[in-house]
Amino acid sequence: MAARLLLRSGLRAVTTCQAVRAPALSRSMAAGGIPTDEEQATGLEKVIMKAMKEGKDPFNMMKPKSYAGSRNDPHLVPSITNKRVVGCICEEDNTSIVWFWLHEGEPQRCPSCGAHYKLVPHNLSH
Amino acid sequence: MAHQAHAYHMVDPSPWPLTGAVAALLMTSGLAIWMHFHTMTLMSLGLILFLLTMYQWWRDVIREGTFQGHHTPPVQKSLRYGMILFITSEVFFFLGFFWAFYHSSLAPTPELGGCWPPIGITTLNPFEVPLLNTAVLLASGVTVTWAHHSIMEGQRKQAIQSLTLTILLGFYFTALQAMEYYEAPFTIADGVYGSTFFVATGFHGLHVIIGSTFLAVCLLRQAQYHFTSDHHFGFEAAAWYWHFVDVVWLFLYISIYWWGS
Repeated sequence: MAARLLLRSGLRAVTTCQAVRAPALSRSMAAGGIPTDEEQATGLEKVIMKAMKEGKDPFNMMKPKSYAGSRNDPHLVPSITNKRVVGCICEEDNTSIVWFWLHEGEPQRCPSCGAHYKLVPHNLSH
Repeated sequence: MAHQAHAYHMVDPSPWPLTGAVAALLMTSGLAIWMHFHTMTLMSLGLILFLLTMYQWWRDVIREGTFQGHHTPPVQKSLRYGMILFITSEVFFFLGFFWAFYHSSLAPTPELGGCWPPIGITTLNPFEVPLLNTAVLLASGVTVTWAHHSIMEGQRKQAIQSLTLTILLGFYFTALQAMEYYEAPFTIADGVYGSTFFVATGFHGLHVIIGSTFLAVCLLRQAQYHFTSDHHFGFEAAAWYWHFVDVVWLFLYISIYWWGS
Protein backbone atom coordinates (compact mmCIF):
# COMPACT_ATOMS: atom_id res chain seq x y z
CA MET A 1 0.00 0.00 0.00
CA ALA A 2 2.81 2.36 0.84
CA ALA A 3 4.46 1.68 -2.50
CA ARG A 4 1.22 2.40 -4.34
CA LEU A 5 0.78 5.67 -2.41
CA LEU A 6 4.37 6.69 -3.10
CA LEU A 7 3.99 5.94 -6.80
CA ARG A 8 0.71 7.81 -6.96
CA SER A 9 2.10 10.93 -5.29
CA GLY A 10 5.22 10.75 -7.45
CA LEU A 11 3.10 10.53 -10.59
CA ARG A 12 1.01 13.47 -9.44
CA ALA A 13 4.10 15.51 -8.69
CA VAL A 14 5.50 14.85 -12.15
CA THR A 15 2.29 15.49 -14.08
CA THR A 16 0.66 18.41 -12.23
CA CYS A 17 3.62 20.57 -11.27
CA GLN A 18 4.66 21.07 -14.89
CA ALA A 19 1.95 23.69 -15.48
CA VAL A 20 2.98 26.14 -12.75
CA ARG A 21 6.66 26.76 -12.32
CA ALA A 22 6.36 28.52 -8.96
CA PRO A 23 8.84 27.20 -6.36
CA ALA A 24 7.12 29.23 -3.64
CA LEU A 25 4.02 27.03 -4.01
CA SER A 26 5.83 23.75 -3.32
CA ARG A 27 4.62 23.70 0.28
CA SER A 28 1.50 25.66 1.16
CA MET A 29 -2.23 25.35 1.65
CA ALA A 30 -2.66 25.59 -2.09
CA ALA A 31 -0.11 22.90 -2.96
CA GLY A 32 -0.24 20.10 -0.39
CA GLY A 33 -2.84 21.23 2.12
CA ILE A 34 -0.56 22.01 5.05
CA PRO A 35 -0.18 25.71 5.81
CA THR A 36 3.21 27.39 6.08
CA ASP A 37 4.32 29.73 8.85
CA GLU A 38 4.12 32.49 6.22
CA GLU A 39 0.40 31.81 5.91
CA GLN A 40 -0.54 30.94 9.45
CA ALA A 41 1.88 32.30 12.07
CA THR A 42 0.31 34.79 14.42
CA GLY A 43 1.04 36.95 17.45
CA LEU A 44 4.58 37.38 18.71
CA GLU A 45 5.78 34.42 16.62
CA LYS A 46 4.70 36.30 13.49
CA VAL A 47 6.27 39.58 14.63
CA ILE A 48 9.60 37.83 15.22
CA MET A 49 9.37 35.88 11.95
CA LYS A 50 8.83 39.14 9.99
CA ALA A 51 11.66 40.92 11.81
CA MET A 52 14.09 38.04 11.25
CA LYS A 53 13.29 38.09 7.54
CA GLU A 54 14.36 41.74 7.43
CA GLY A 55 17.54 40.88 9.31
CA LYS A 56 16.35 42.61 12.49
CA ASP A 57 16.44 41.21 16.02
CA PRO A 58 14.18 43.42 18.15
CA PHE A 59 14.04 40.97 21.05
CA ASN A 60 17.76 40.30 21.26
CA MET A 61 17.40 36.59 20.53
CA MET A 62 20.77 36.43 18.76
CA LYS A 63 24.29 37.08 20.03
CA PRO A 64 25.09 40.83 19.96
CA LYS A 65 26.89 42.13 16.90
CA SER A 66 30.67 42.31 17.05
CA TYR A 67 32.28 45.73 17.20
CA ALA A 68 35.91 46.80 17.67
CA GLY A 69 35.02 48.68 20.85
CA SER A 70 37.25 51.61 19.90
CA ARG A 71 36.28 55.30 19.99
CA ASN A 72 35.46 55.23 16.26
CA ASP A 73 33.74 51.85 16.33
CA PRO A 74 32.04 51.60 19.73
CA HIS A 75 29.85 48.69 20.78
CA LEU A 76 26.30 49.77 19.89
CA VAL A 77 23.89 48.73 22.63
CA PRO A 78 20.17 48.86 21.74
CA SER A 79 17.77 49.92 24.49
CA ILE A 80 14.04 50.49 24.83
CA THR A 81 14.60 53.13 27.53
CA ASN A 82 17.47 55.56 28.11
CA LYS A 83 19.77 53.19 29.99
CA ARG A 84 20.76 49.51 29.96
CA VAL A 85 23.02 47.25 32.02
CA VAL A 86 26.12 46.13 30.14
CA GLY A 87 28.29 43.17 31.12
CA CYS A 88 31.79 43.38 29.62
CA ILE A 89 33.87 40.20 29.33
CA CYS A 90 37.05 42.15 28.76
CA GLU A 91 39.15 39.31 27.47
CA GLU A 92 37.95 36.00 26.07
CA ASP A 93 37.59 33.31 28.77
CA ASN A 94 37.57 35.87 31.61
CA THR A 95 35.52 34.41 34.43
CA SER A 96 34.46 37.70 36.00
CA ILE A 97 32.11 40.03 34.14
CA VAL A 98 32.31 43.80 34.61
CA TRP A 99 28.77 45.15 35.00
CA PHE A 100 27.78 48.80 34.64
CA TRP A 101 24.85 50.99 33.63
CA LEU A 102 25.18 52.51 30.15
CA HIS A 103 23.31 55.82 29.83
CA GLU A 104 22.02 57.68 26.81
CA GLY A 105 24.35 60.28 25.32
CA GLU A 106 28.15 60.22 25.26
CA PRO A 107 29.73 56.77 24.85
CA GLN A 108 31.05 55.29 28.09
CA ARG A 109 34.08 53.10 28.64
CA CYS A 110 34.37 49.82 30.52
CA PRO A 111 36.01 50.60 33.88
CA SER A 112 38.25 47.58 33.48
CA CYS A 113 39.37 47.30 29.84
CA GLY A 114 38.30 50.68 28.45
CA ALA A 115 36.16 49.37 25.59
CA HIS A 116 33.72 51.98 24.25
CA TYR A 117 29.96 51.45 24.51
CA LYS A 118 27.20 53.67 23.06
CA LEU A 119 23.50 53.37 23.90
CA VAL A 120 21.18 53.33 20.89
CA PRO A 121 17.67 54.03 22.16
CA HIS A 122 14.69 52.96 20.09
CA ASN A 123 11.00 52.49 20.78
CA LEU A 124 9.27 49.15 20.49
CA SER A 125 7.02 49.08 17.43
CA HIS A 126 4.09 47.93 19.59
CA MET B 1 -0.11 42.50 20.37
CA ALA B 2 2.72 41.91 22.85
CA HIS B 3 3.79 44.64 25.25
CA GLN B 4 7.00 42.90 26.22
CA ALA B 5 10.60 43.50 25.18
CA HIS B 6 11.58 39.83 25.24
CA ALA B 7 10.67 36.78 23.19
CA TYR B 8 9.71 34.56 26.11
CA HIS B 9 6.25 33.56 27.27
CA MET B 10 5.13 34.73 30.69
CA VAL B 11 2.12 32.47 31.14
CA ASP B 12 -1.15 33.89 32.45
CA PRO B 13 -2.29 32.67 35.90
CA SER B 14 -3.88 29.24 35.63
CA PRO B 15 -5.79 26.94 38.00
CA TRP B 16 -4.63 23.70 36.39
CA PRO B 17 -1.42 23.20 38.41
CA LEU B 18 -3.56 23.37 41.58
CA THR B 19 -6.21 21.00 40.26
CA GLY B 20 -3.41 18.67 39.14
CA ALA B 21 -1.89 18.68 42.61
CA VAL B 22 -5.28 18.02 44.20
CA ALA B 23 -5.85 15.21 41.71
CA ALA B 24 -2.51 13.65 42.66
CA LEU B 25 -3.45 13.85 46.34
CA LEU B 26 -6.88 12.28 45.77
CA MET B 27 -5.47 9.52 43.55
CA THR B 28 -2.76 8.48 46.00
CA SER B 29 -4.85 8.67 49.15
CA GLY B 30 -7.73 7.14 47.20
CA LEU B 31 -5.49 4.21 46.28
CA ALA B 32 -4.71 3.64 49.96
CA ILE B 33 -8.42 3.92 50.89
CA TRP B 34 -9.30 1.44 48.14
CA MET B 35 -6.78 -1.06 49.39
CA HIS B 36 -7.89 -0.87 53.02
CA PHE B 37 -11.59 -0.01 52.93
CA HIS B 38 -12.72 -1.41 49.57
CA THR B 39 -14.23 1.82 48.23
CA MET B 40 -13.10 3.45 44.98
CA THR B 41 -14.85 6.82 45.39
CA LEU B 42 -11.87 8.95 46.37
CA MET B 43 -9.58 7.40 43.77
CA SER B 44 -12.19 7.78 41.01
CA LEU B 45 -12.69 11.43 41.95
CA GLY B 46 -8.93 11.92 41.72
CA LEU B 47 -8.80 10.19 38.34
CA ILE B 48 -11.59 12.37 36.92
CA LEU B 49 -9.89 15.52 38.20
CA PHE B 50 -6.60 14.28 36.70
CA LEU B 51 -8.15 13.74 33.27
CA LEU B 52 -9.90 17.13 33.40
CA THR B 53 -6.64 18.82 34.40
CA MET B 54 -4.69 17.27 31.53
CA TYR B 55 -7.38 18.13 29.00
CA GLN B 56 -7.70 21.75 30.06
CA TRP B 57 -4.01 22.40 30.65
CA TRP B 58 -2.91 21.09 27.28
CA ARG B 59 -5.89 22.73 25.56
CA ASP B 60 -4.57 26.01 27.00
CA VAL B 61 -1.04 25.28 25.72
CA ILE B 62 -2.48 24.73 22.24
CA ARG B 63 -4.45 27.97 22.49
CA GLU B 64 -1.35 29.89 23.59
CA GLY B 65 0.92 28.41 20.92
CA THR B 66 -1.16 27.78 17.83
CA PHE B 67 -3.89 30.40 18.21
CA GLN B 68 -2.06 33.21 20.00
CA GLY B 69 1.46 32.83 18.64
CA HIS B 70 3.29 32.78 21.97
CA HIS B 71 5.57 29.92 20.92
CA THR B 72 8.45 31.98 19.54
CA PRO B 73 11.79 30.29 18.70
CA PRO B 74 13.20 30.54 22.26
CA VAL B 75 9.93 29.25 23.69
CA GLN B 76 9.91 26.33 21.28
CA LYS B 77 13.50 25.59 22.24
CA SER B 78 12.58 25.39 25.90
CA LEU B 79 9.65 23.11 25.09
CA ARG B 80 12.09 20.83 23.27
CA TYR B 81 14.42 20.79 26.27
CA GLY B 82 11.44 20.04 28.48
CA MET B 83 10.31 17.06 26.43
CA ILE B 84 13.83 15.66 26.21
CA LEU B 85 14.32 15.99 29.96
CA PHE B 86 10.96 14.33 30.59
CA ILE B 87 11.79 11.40 28.30
CA THR B 88 15.18 11.11 30.02
CA SER B 89 13.43 10.84 33.38
CA GLU B 90 11.24 8.08 31.92
CA VAL B 91 14.38 6.27 30.74
CA PHE B 92 15.59 6.24 34.33
CA PHE B 93 12.17 5.02 35.46
CA PHE B 94 12.47 1.97 33.21
CA LEU B 95 16.14 1.55 34.11
CA GLY B 96 14.98 0.72 37.63
CA PHE B 97 12.78 -2.14 36.44
CA PHE B 98 15.53 -3.49 34.20
CA TRP B 99 17.84 -3.36 37.23
CA ALA B 100 15.33 -5.39 39.20
CA PHE B 101 15.04 -7.92 36.38
CA TYR B 102 18.78 -8.37 35.95
CA HIS B 103 19.36 -8.45 39.71
CA SER B 104 17.01 -11.40 40.04
CA SER B 105 17.87 -13.20 36.81
CA LEU B 106 21.67 -13.00 36.72
CA ALA B 107 22.05 -14.69 40.12
CA PRO B 108 18.89 -16.79 40.62
CA THR B 109 18.37 -17.81 44.24
CA PRO B 110 17.98 -21.41 45.47
CA GLU B 111 14.25 -20.74 46.01
CA LEU B 112 13.90 -20.42 42.24
CA GLY B 113 15.92 -23.58 41.66
CA GLY B 114 19.14 -21.70 41.03
CA CYS B 115 18.20 -21.14 37.40
CA TRP B 116 16.45 -18.63 35.13
CA PRO B 117 13.70 -18.98 34.13
CA PRO B 118 12.80 -20.36 37.57
CA ILE B 119 11.54 -23.91 38.00
CA GLY B 120 7.85 -24.16 37.18
CA ILE B 121 7.70 -21.12 34.90
CA THR B 122 6.69 -21.76 31.28
CA THR B 123 7.98 -18.74 29.43
CA LEU B 124 6.37 -17.28 26.32
CA ASN B 125 7.98 -18.25 23.02
CA PRO B 126 9.88 -15.12 21.97
CA PHE B 127 9.44 -15.99 18.30
CA GLU B 128 5.66 -16.00 18.38
CA VAL B 129 3.49 -13.00 19.42
CA PRO B 130 6.39 -11.08 21.03
CA LEU B 131 8.24 -11.10 17.70
CA LEU B 132 5.10 -9.89 15.92
CA ASN B 133 4.82 -7.12 18.52
CA THR B 134 8.40 -6.12 17.77
CA ALA B 135 7.62 -5.93 14.05
CA VAL B 136 4.47 -3.91 14.74
CA LEU B 137 6.30 -1.30 16.81
CA LEU B 138 9.21 -1.05 14.40
CA ALA B 139 6.75 -0.54 11.55
CA SER B 140 4.99 2.15 13.56
CA GLY B 141 8.36 3.90 13.92
CA VAL B 142 8.61 3.96 10.15
CA THR B 143 5.07 5.27 9.67
CA VAL B 144 5.52 8.05 12.24
CA THR B 145 8.68 9.15 10.41
CA TRP B 146 6.71 9.06 7.18
CA ALA B 147 4.10 11.29 8.85
CA HIS B 148 6.78 13.75 9.92
CA HIS B 149 8.22 14.05 6.46
CA SER B 150 4.72 14.46 5.02
CA ILE B 151 4.10 17.39 7.36
CA MET B 152 7.43 19.00 6.54
CA GLU B 153 6.75 18.65 2.83
CA GLY B 154 3.24 20.07 3.15
CA GLN B 155 1.42 16.89 2.15
CA ARG B 156 -1.80 16.91 4.17
CA LYS B 157 -3.40 13.68 2.93
CA GLN B 158 -0.24 11.61 3.38
CA ALA B 159 0.34 13.09 6.82
CA ILE B 160 -3.13 12.10 7.95
CA GLN B 161 -2.86 8.62 6.40
CA SER B 162 0.56 7.79 7.89
CA LEU B 163 -0.35 9.19 11.31
CA THR B 164 -3.57 7.14 11.33
CA LEU B 165 -1.60 4.04 10.37
CA THR B 166 0.84 4.69 13.23
CA ILE B 167 -2.01 4.89 15.72
CA LEU B 168 -3.63 1.73 14.34
CA LEU B 169 -0.34 -0.13 14.73
CA GLY B 170 -0.17 1.13 18.31
CA PHE B 171 -3.67 -0.23 18.97
CA TYR B 172 -2.72 -3.52 17.33
CA PHE B 173 0.27 -3.84 19.69
CA THR B 174 -1.94 -3.10 22.69
CA ALA B 175 -4.55 -5.63 21.59
CA LEU B 176 -1.91 -8.33 21.02
CA GLN B 177 -0.31 -7.64 24.39
CA ALA B 178 -3.68 -7.74 26.12
CA MET B 179 -4.34 -11.13 24.56
CA GLU B 180 -0.87 -12.34 25.62
CA TYR B 181 -1.56 -11.19 29.20
CA TYR B 182 -4.86 -13.09 29.22
CA GLU B 183 -3.39 -16.27 27.78
CA ALA B 184 -0.06 -16.27 29.70
CA PRO B 185 0.65 -19.46 31.70
CA PHE B 186 2.01 -17.39 34.62
CA THR B 187 0.73 -14.44 36.65
CA ILE B 188 2.20 -11.46 38.47
CA ALA B 189 2.00 -13.51 41.67
CA ASP B 190 4.34 -16.17 40.32
CA GLY B 191 7.46 -15.22 42.20
CA VAL B 192 10.04 -12.72 41.07
CA TYR B 193 9.67 -13.86 37.46
CA GLY B 194 6.03 -12.83 37.42
CA SER B 195 6.73 -9.58 39.25
CA THR B 196 9.54 -8.41 36.96
CA PHE B 197 7.74 -9.56 33.81
CA PHE B 198 4.39 -7.92 34.45
CA VAL B 199 5.64 -4.73 36.12
CA ALA B 200 8.15 -4.00 33.34
CA THR B 201 5.90 -4.97 30.42
CA GLY B 202 2.85 -3.52 32.18
CA PHE B 203 4.40 -0.07 32.56
CA HIS B 204 5.57 -0.33 28.97
CA GLY B 205 2.02 -1.09 27.86
CA LEU B 206 0.77 1.93 29.79
CA HIS B 207 3.32 4.06 27.94
CA VAL B 208 2.15 2.65 24.61
CA ILE B 209 -1.39 3.71 25.51
CA ILE B 210 -0.15 7.18 26.54
CA GLY B 211 1.90 7.48 23.34
CA SER B 212 -1.03 6.37 21.18
CA THR B 213 -3.24 8.97 22.87
CA PHE B 214 -0.64 11.68 22.25
CA LEU B 215 -0.47 10.68 18.57
CA ALA B 216 -4.26 10.63 18.35
CA VAL B 217 -4.40 14.20 19.67
CA CYS B 218 -1.82 15.13 17.01
CA LEU B 219 -4.01 13.52 14.36
CA LEU B 220 -6.99 15.62 15.46
CA ARG B 221 -4.84 18.75 15.42
CA GLN B 222 -3.37 17.94 12.01
CA ALA B 223 -6.90 17.46 10.66
CA GLN B 224 -7.78 20.91 11.99
CA TYR B 225 -4.78 22.58 10.33
CA HIS B 226 -2.92 23.38 13.56
CA PHE B 227 0.48 22.31 12.23
CA THR B 228 2.52 24.26 9.70
CA SER B 229 5.28 22.74 7.62
CA ASP B 230 7.93 24.44 9.79
CA HIS B 231 6.28 24.62 13.20
CA HIS B 232 4.74 21.40 14.51
CA PHE B 233 6.52 20.74 17.77
CA GLY B 234 3.53 18.97 19.35
CA PHE B 235 3.85 16.33 16.67
CA GLU B 236 7.63 16.10 17.08
CA ALA B 237 7.23 15.61 20.83
CA ALA B 238 4.71 12.81 20.21
CA ALA B 239 7.07 11.20 17.68
CA TRP B 240 10.01 11.37 20.12
CA TYR B 241 7.87 9.76 22.80
CA TRP B 242 6.77 7.07 20.39
CA HIS B 243 10.35 6.24 19.40
CA PHE B 244 11.24 6.07 23.11
CA VAL B 245 8.38 3.57 23.67
CA ASP B 246 9.66 1.53 20.73
CA VAL B 247 13.23 1.47 22.10
CA VAL B 248 12.03 0.40 25.55
CA TRP B 249 10.16 -2.48 23.92
CA LEU B 250 13.31 -3.55 22.07
CA PHE B 251 15.19 -3.70 25.37
CA LEU B 252 12.30 -5.58 26.98
CA TYR B 253 12.17 -8.03 24.11
CA ILE B 254 15.91 -8.73 24.12
CA SER B 255 16.24 -8.93 27.93
CA ILE B 256 13.03 -10.46 29.26
CA TYR B 257 11.45 -12.27 26.35
CA TRP B 258 14.54 -13.59 24.57
CA TRP B 259 17.52 -13.82 26.96
CA GLY B 260 15.21 -14.48 29.90
CA SER B 261 13.48 -17.44 28.29
